Amino acid sequence: MEQNETEGILETLQLAGRVIMENGGETYRVEETVCRMGRAFGLTEVESFAVPSGIFITCKNAEGDVKTGIQRVRRGGIHLERVDEVNRVSRHTEHEGLPWREARTELQEIAQRKGMPTWLRIPANSLCAAGFCVMFGGNLLDAGITGLVAALSESMTMTLGRFRMQSFASLLLGSFFATFIPLGLLRWLPGLHTEAMVAGALMPMLPGLAMTNAVQDTMRGDMISGVSHFGEAVLTAALLAGGSMSGAYMIRQLMGGA
Amino acid sequence: MSILTVVLSSFVGTLGFAMILHTPARTLVPASVIGAAAYGLYFYLESVGCPEPAAIFLGTLFGTLLGQECARRMRRISTIFTTLAIVSLVPGLGLYRCMELLGSGESDAGLLAGVSAMITIAMITLGIAVGTYLFRLIIGSHGHPMPDR
Repeated sequence: MEQNETEGILETLQLAGRVIMENGGETYRVEETVCRMGRAFGLTEVESFAVPSGIFITCKNAEGDVKTGIQRVRRGGIHLERVDEVNRVSRHTEHEGLPWREARTELQEIAQRKGMPTWLRIPANSLCAAGFCVMFGGNLLDAGITGLVAALSESMTMTLGRFRMQSFASLLLGSFFATFIPLGLLRWLPGLHTEAMVAGALMPMLPGLAMTNAVQDTMRGDMISGVSHFGEAVLTAALLAGGSMSGAYMIRQLMGGA
Repeated sequence: MSILTVVLSSFVGTLGFAMILHTPARTLVPASVIGAAAYGLYFYLESVGCPEPAAIFLGTLFGTLLGQECARRMRRISTIFTTLAIVSLVPGLGLYRCMELLGSGESDAGLLAGVSAMITIAMITLGIAVGTYLFRLIIGSHGHPMPDR
């Protein structure tokens, strides 16, 4: 195996790891995928260490040449289809002997792949919030209003995203409005089930994936990533709680205990 | 509220959440069905007098086992199914109640709601861990391919 080839394989492994991590995959999955793919490409030794902000890979070819690469990871968003596609490429590499150049081309295509159109995120949030509102005991009117509140929150997130203030600010503002609007409407529509509406509107923002990843990473002995994901989940919940509390406080001040 | 309404609304909510996570199109419906089934089991167990933490644990365990099996059969990553199995059980309502009570000065009731939400989260965590471990133990011992591979 030539030096250039080893470098190409290392770059391919880094790309696979980065795509998984940037799109919401677990760190154990990054490490496992990198090692399996590396061995399938003919490397004699592959070691990988991943944390949520970076990946370190060391590999050795048959001639004994050792290469090490560090890949900084900046979290993009959650895109489980991309994580699933990288897993598919890894499986093909391992079971069907997909050559590394073809794997790299496929990975590059996956990394560039467009997901759901941006505008579709608004009805998705509305659907999620409205469904959970009914599950928590709301009626169809409550669900309709909750869907609109969630659409407003998501529109705001998308606007804030343009100013690179997406995560924390959008969670705070989103949960603020998710509480403020239903409680405010209660004055004019006294029959509303505000508890179900607020809880429903908060649901699309809850850290479900971070919780799952925290458990999966911790179970495989990766305490650093487990604690990191758990911290992300707690921080998200705290921001939602803070925004929600501010919204309820504000409406009480404006409406005198409505 | 009838169990049918609960299951249907849970399905719709989970479907929306699946779209937010950019879940592969082919897994949208099965993953949402698993989420609805997990919540349906929790709702049923609670309605027949099962303590809430136990109902949450069993709902999560059931959802995780179903999700792992579905991931194995569909050759998809288990994260999709496990995340969507638990999303309707995450205590959004409990979190809101806690904040609402604390914000209105009812500290004792607020703390109680907060502790209850924390117990729910702990039960979900335990349910995922036990479900994943059990599934790998059973499937591994029969020599079937594991989920994710």
